Amino acid sequence: MSVQTHQNGSRWEFITQSRVWRSFFRHGWPDNPLDRSLVMTSNIFLHLHPVKVNRRSLHWSYTFGLGVIAVVLFGVLVFTGVLLMFYYVPSVERAYPALRNIEVSVPLGQFTRNMHRWSAHLMVLVAILHLIRVFYTGAYKSPREFNWLVGVGLLLLTLGASFTGYLLPWDQLSYWAITVGTNIAGYAPLIGNAVRGILLGGPEVGQDALIRFYTLHVALIPTLLVLGISIHLWRVRKDGGLAVNDSVTPAGEVPADEHVGGMQKTSEKS
Amino acid sequence: MSTTNLVNTTDEIFPKQTNKTYALVELMRGDGPMVGKGPDGSVFSFPVVLLIEIILVLGVTLAVFLFSLLKQAPLEAIANPLVTTDPAKAPWYFVGLQELLEHMHPTVAGVLIPTALVLFLAVLPYVDRSRDGVGVWFTSLRGRRIAGWTALYTAVLMPAYILLDNAFSLRELLRNKTPEWVAQGLLPLAIIAVIVAVPALVLSRRKATPREVLIALFTVMIVSAVIFTLSGFFLRGPGFKMYLPWQMPNGYNPLNGL
Repeated sequence: MSVQTHQNGSRWEFITQSRVWRSFFRHGWPDNPLDRSLVMTSNIFLHLHPVKVNRRSLHWSYTFGLGVIAVVLFGVLVFTGVLLMFYYVPSVERAYPALRNIEVSVPLGQFTRNMHRWSAHLMVLVAILHLIRVFYTGAYKSPREFNWLVGVGLLLLTLGASFTGYLLPWDQLSYWAITVGTNIAGYAPLIGNAVRGILLGGPEVGQDALIRFYTLHVALIPTLLVLGISIHLWRVRKDGGLAVNDSVTPAGEVPADEHVGGMQKTSEKS
Repeated sequence: MSTTNLVNTTDEIFPKQTNKTYALVELMRGDGPMVGKGPDGSVFSFPVVLLIEIILVLGVTLAVFLFSLLKQAPLEAIANPLVTTDPAKAPWYFVGLQELLEHMHPTVAGVLIPTALVLFLAVLPYVDRSRDGVGVWFTSLRGRRIAGWTALYTAVLMPAYILLDNAFSLRELLRNKTPEWVAQGLLPLAIIAVIVAVPALVLSRRKATPREVLIALFTVMIVSAVIFTLSGFFLRGPGFKMYLPWQMPNGYNPLNGL
C-alpha cells in the first residue's frame, strides 16, 4: 500500500495510524484533555508527573526550580562521568597519568572534566538550597514526612558521591582532602577506626582506598541515587503534588505569603 | 477563622447546610472532570510543566557549559603521601567541620555535632505535627521575623565565637588546669548549646508553636554551617591559621582548592 492510496489521510496520519507507531504510543496528539492525560500516564518518565498541576506550584518564587535543577545536574554528571570512565583507570600508578591524558590528548577531555567537576559542586549546593527551601515552606509536614526523610538521604548520598569522586584525580589536592575527611570519620569513639578502615581498606589512603572510592563513585552511589530520586519524585505525586497546593484558597487568588490574612478578607466578604 | 476552613474551601463554596431551595447552575466552557468542586486553578501538565523542565535542562546545562569554558578544573601535582600540602583542607562542604575541629575535641566536632544535625533533620517532620501554613514561606509573618532575627543573632554570635576562640583559645588557656574533656569537650559544647538554645527558650516563653521553634533552630543550624564553612574556606591559610583572604602567605589562594 502506498502513501497516496491511504484514504482521506496525509502522510503524517499514515505514520501515526500505522501498527508500528501505535505499538509505541498509546495516545493521540495531545491537543485535548484525554490525550493530554494519556501522554503523561502512558510514559514511564512522564508518569512521575501528575496529569494536572496547580498554577501556584509553578510560581518561580515558590520553588526556584531547585529540585529539577538538582536532577538536571545529576543527568549532566552521569553523562560526563560515563565519558570520563572511558579513559580513567583507578590505579595509583595510572590514575594521575590518565587525568593528564584526558586533559591534554583526549578531544574535549579537559572540557568534559570541567563540566563534571563544576556540576558536582553545584549539585551539592543546589541540593542544600532545595532542603532549605522545603524546610522554610513547611513542605515536610504531613503527609510528606517520609519524602523529607528520602530527601535527607539523597543529600547524604550526594555528599558521598562528591566526596568519593574527590579522590579519583589522585593529585595532592584530592589525596590530602580525603586524608583530612576520613580522619574526621576516624574520630568517632569505638567505631571510628573501623569506619575509617572500611572506607579506606587500610590504615591510610592508598590503592585499596582508590578502588573502593571508585566503585562507590561509579556504581553503588549512582545506583542508590537513581533509586532514591525515583522514589522522591514518585512520592511527590503520591503526596498530592507540591505542598503549595494544600494551601490553595478559592481560585488561587491569594499570594502565598499573605495566605492567612487573605482568608480573613474572604470570610469577611461572605 | 479556624484552620479547617483554610483547607476545606469546597464547603465554603458549596455549603452543605443551606435553606436555599434553588441552586445557581452555569454552563462553562472548559475541560476536566471538576463536577462539584470549586475552581481549582489547575492546568494540564502537558505541555506547561514539560516546557518549564526543558527550559531548566537547557538553561542549567548552558550555564555549566559556559562556566566550564572559562574555568579549568584544578589538577595539582601527583599525590605524594610524604609531602603534606599546607594547608590540607577537606572539600568545601566538610570544611565547616574542619573549622569546628579547630575549636573543640574531635569526638565532639567530628562525630557528636554532625550526628546531632542529621538526627535533627530526620526527626523534625515528626516534631512539628501541625498543618498550619503548609506551602507558605516561613508559615506566617511572625515566622519570617523569627527566621530573620535568628539569622542575625547567629551571624553575630558564631563569628564572635570563632574569632574569640581563635584569639584566646580555650585549649591553650586551660591547658594543665582542667582535664582535656572539660577544656575541649564540655566547655565548647556548652557554649554552642547555649547559643543554640537561647532563641528556642525565648520563643517557648512567648508561647511559640513547635513550627516556630523549629524555624529558629533550623536557621541557627544553616547560618552556623555557612559561617563555619566560610571561615574554614576563606580565612584559613597555611597551618590552618587564620589570615585575611587577600593576605594569605606563600601565594596560597583558597579558591584553588575547589
